[in-house]
Amino acid sequence: MKRQLTITAEPIDESALIRQRKISTGMGAAVYFAGVVRGLEGEEKIAAIDYEAFQRMVEHQFNLLFDQIAKRWPIESVRLVHRVGVVKVGEPSLWVEIVAPHRAEAFAACQWLIDEMKRVVPIWKKVVQD
Amino acid sequence: MLINVQFYSYFKDLTGCGVTSVDVPTGATIADLLKSLAVRFPKLGAMQKSMLIAVGVDYQGRDYVLGEGDEVSLFPPVQGG
Repeated sequence: MKRQLTITAEPIDESALIRQRKISTGMGAAVYFAGVVRGLEGEEKIAAIDYEAFQRMVEHQFNLLFDQIAKRWPIESVRLVHRVGVVKVGEPSLWVEIVAPHRAEAFAACQWLIDEMKRVVPIWKKVVQD
Repeated sequence: MLINVQFYSYFKDLTGCGVTSVDVPTGATIADLLKSLAVRFPKLGAMQKSMLIAVGVDYQGRDYVLGEGDEVSLFPPVQGG
């Protein structure tokens, strides 16, 4: 399984990521998800979220998750981008893509990866007020 | 044996620092380290139930026996995405 992990302070360029997609002829599903910063935290209006990461551990924990994906599903590739630093409301903070033979495993792996990320990958949020 | 400890997220605010070091005896566990830190940083001591603990880049439990050169990281539940 091919894997590409990017932890970056730069904006996520979704169009570029889609253009760079590599998919072999046996694959029938490319599922991608963008997590976008909401303008409300509870009932409070916010301007942005400041993401902090323990970078070395983030990379290690994501790679452990990718290892598990490779064991559980016949995935051809996973690409994941996560922002660090200040991400304004409306901008994506997370972008994940799974390429697989069929949609069922692509959706399942994508959902599982995001759920597990929220459990074990050391990234934290701090609200930036308007 | 001197153990370096790093704090992340609001644990840095609770302790007033991003990193510290603690002198522990040979055979000390993470539980022993946390007891020592709770004396120095009472606000951190109050967070122990929700605290996540890593040595290097792997999660560890409180019974982990510390070794020379271990780098311990303490942080609240993660919130990526």
